[in-house]
Amino acid sequence: MIGLLSYAVFFTTVASILAIAVLGLNLQWGNTGLFNGGVVAFFGAGAYGTLILGSAAQPDQFGGFNLFYPAALIGGMVVAGLLAWVVGILTLRLRHDYLAIATFGIAVTFENIMRNAEWLSGGAKGIRGFEQPLRDAFGGGLAYNAAFLAFVVAALIAVYQFLQHLVSSPFGRLLRAIREDEGAARSLGKAPSRVRLTAFITGSVIMGLSGGLYATFYAFVSPQDVLPTLTFQIWAMLIVGGAGNNRGAVLGAFLIWGAWTASGWSLSRFAPIEAQLYTGSIQYILIGSVIVGMLLWRPQGLFPERLVVSQSGKPGATKKQGV
Amino acid sequence: MKMGSKHITGLALGLTVSAFGSAAMASDCTTKIGTVLPTSVDWGRPIAETAGFAVEQVNEAGGVQGCEIEMVLRDSQVDPKVGVDAAKALVDLDGVQVLIGAVSSGVSMPILTSVTVPAGVAQFSCCSSSGAFTTLAEEGGTNGLWFRTFATSGVQAAVGAKVAKDQGYGSIAILYKNDDWGQDISKLIAEDLVDMGITVTASVAINDGQPSYRAEVTEALGGQPEAIYMALYPNEGASVVREWLSLGGTQNMVMANSLKSDEFRDNVGLQYLGNALGTDTASPRVASADAFVASYKERFESEPNGPGLSNSYDATMIALLAMEAAGKDATGAEIAASVSRVTDPAGTPVSADAAGFAAAREALTAGGSVMYQGATGNVRFDANGDVSAPAVVWSFTETGTQEKQYVTLQEVDALMMGD
Repeated sequence: MIGLLSYAVFFTTVASILAIAVLGLNLQWGNTGLFNGGVVAFFGAGAYGTLILGSAAQPDQFGGFNLFYPAALIGGMVVAGLLAWVVGILTLRLRHDYLAIATFGIAVTFENIMRNAEWLSGGAKGIRGFEQPLRDAFGGGLAYNAAFLAFVVAALIAVYQFLQHLVSSPFGRLLRAIREDEGAARSLGKAPSRVRLTAFITGSVIMGLSGGLYATFYAFVSPQDVLPTLTFQIWAMLIVGGAGNNRGAVLGAFLIWGAWTASGWSLSRFAPIEAQLYTGSIQYILIGSVIVGMLLWRPQGLFPERLVVSQSGKPGATKKQGV
Repeated sequence: MKMGSKHITGLALGLTVSAFGSAAMASDCTTKIGTVLPTSVDWGRPIAETAGFAVEQVNEAGGVQGCEIEMVLRDSQVDPKVGVDAAKALVDLDGVQVLIGAVSSGVSMPILTSVTVPAGVAQFSCCSSSGAFTTLAEEGGTNGLWFRTFATSGVQAAVGAKVAKDQGYGSIAILYKNDDWGQDISKLIAEDLVDMGITVTASVAINDGQPSYRAEVTEALGGQPEAIYMALYPNEGASVVREWLSLGGTQNMVMANSLKSDEFRDNVGLQYLGNALGTDTASPRVASADAFVASYKERFESEPNGPGLSNSYDATMIALLAMEAAGKDATGAEIAASVSRVTDPAGTPVSADAAGFAAAREALTAGGSVMYQGATGNVRFDANGDVSAPAVVWSFTETGTQEKQYVTLQEVDALMMGD
C-alpha cells in the first residue's frame, strides 16, 4: 500500500513536471502558432542552467556558484529565456515547417554541445548537481517526495493560472490574431514579429522551469535527457490533450505519460514469458497507435480550443467562457 | 481474435514453465528481482536474454533460499525518464530488493540517485562505464549499493602506460578521439604516464571526419616525443598516422583497442607498424569463462559475441548469489553487504552454472564464503563497486594481430593500485 502511494507520488511529480513543459509549448503552438521542434533545447537549458548555478564547486567542472536553490531555478529559466531570445531573433522570420526544422536543428546542436563541452556540462557523463533541496529537513524518503510533489504542483498551478490569465487578456487575443492571420494583425498596427518573439521566449522560459524542476528531482542531467525523443513526447501530449487549451495540455501530459508508463508496467506483468523480451518494442507500437488513433479520430484533441467572441469588455465574463 | 490465442499460448507456456518448475524444485514461493534494460534496442535484447539465462540456471538449482526467482523485465528505451519510472515501479509496486540495470550510464545514474539509493535497493549494472559512478561512490553517494561488472577505461590506460614504460619511452604525445571515451582515457593515461616518470609532451584532441590532421599532428610533433599514444578509431587513426610519419614522426606507437583493425593496418602499411603495440582488455584465461561460452552456445545456439553479455550474466549471477548469502527476506542493503562474501578470493571456488549455484549454497549454509568464477573471470569489486579485468598487449601481423603479452588480473590490479 505504501509502495503504491510512493509510486503514485513519484508518477504525479514527473507528469506534473512534463505538464509544465506542455503548457509552455501550448503558448507557442496552441496560441501563437509557432512550430517549436526544439522543445528539448529549452528544457535542457533550464536543466543544465539550474544544476550548474546551484551546485558547489566540483573538480574540472565549470560552475561552483552554489546559488540558493530558488535563485538557481530562476537562473535556469533565465538561461532558457536567453537561448530562446537568440534563437528567436535568428529563426522567427521562418514559418511553420521551416521554423520546425530550424528549431529541431538547434535542439540537436544543443545536445551535441552538452555532449562535447566537458568543461561546461560534464560531457557525455553528465553533471551531478546538488542534493535535492531541503532533503534532510524531511528525512528523505516518501515524506520528502510528497513535499517535492507539492512544490511541483504549486509551480504547475502558478504557470496554469498565469497562462489562463495571459490568453484571456488582450495580449492573448493578439497572439491568436497573429496565429490566424498575420497580415490582418499588422494592418491593425500590431507588430507581429515582436509579439511572436515575446510568446516564444515566454513559452521557452516555462519549458526551462520544467527542465529545472526535472534536474532538481533527479539531481542529475546528461545528454541522454535532451534527446529529440523528449520533444516528440511533449508534442504528443499537447496534440492528444488539445492544442490551444491549457486544461487539455495538462491532461494530455498526464494521459500520455500515464500510457507510456502503464503500458510498460502491464506488459511486464501480463505478457507471456516468451514475449517479455519484446515488450519494449510492443510498447512503442502501442504508444504510436494511441497517437495515430487520436490524430485520425479526434485531431482537435480531448479538450479542443474554444474560441469565444470576447467583445463584452468584462474580464470576468470572457474568463469563464474562455476556458 | 489474435489476442485470445496469444493469451492461450501464454497461459499454456506459463503452465508448462510452472509445471517444470515445481517438478524441478517443489518451491512454493517466488522472489522477484527487477531488471531495467533497453530491450527495444537491438543490442540490448541479448543482454536481457543473458540475464534471464542466469535466472533460469538458478531456478534449475532450486532458486534462492528455496524460492523461485521471478525476473520482472522492464524496457528502459534508453530514456532516463522511462528507465527511472520503470525502476521506481519495480521497487515500489513489485517490492524488489535487487535491481539489474541499466546499460547506459545516463540511465543508471538517475536510477541510482533517485530510486535505489533512497530506497536501499542493491543495483547491479552490466555495462555502465562512466567514471562518474566511481566519483559518486568515493563521495559516499552510493551507500555501497552500487556494483558494475564492466571494467572501466582505467584498465586500458594503466596497461598502455605499462607498455610505454616497458619499452623505455621517456616522453609521449597523446592523441585521442574527441568523445566521452577518448576524453576519459586520455586523462587517465596522462596521469598514469606521469606517475611512471614519463613526460607527456602534448595531449591533442582529434575530431572526426576532417580531411587533414596536419595542424593536430604538428602540435603533437612540437614536443619531439619519443613515442605517441593513440586512443583513436581506425579512420581518423590512419589519417593521423600517415601525416605523422610523413612529417618525420617516430614509429614508436602505443594504441588502444579501438585501433585493433585490419583497415587501420592496411591503410597505414604494416612496414610502418613494426614498433606499434596495442592494448586490450581480455577474456580471462580461466575455465569458468570457457564454461560460460559453452553453456551459452548450448542454450542460444550462437557464440556470446556482443557487447556486455558475459558482464550481464555475471551481474545477475552475483546478485542472486548475494541474495542467497544474505538469507531469507534480506533487504537490499544486506544483499549488497553480502556481495563480498560471494566474491571472496579466499572462498570456495564455484562455477558459473546451476551446479555452481548449488555448490555455493552449500558453502554459504555452512557459514563459509564463496569465490565466484564467472564469465568475466574471478570477479572482485573494489570499495566503489568497480571491477578490474585482465589485459593483453598485441601487435599487428600480416594476417591480423598477435598477442605479445598477457597481463593477468592480479598484475592489472597491481598497476591500478599504483595510480
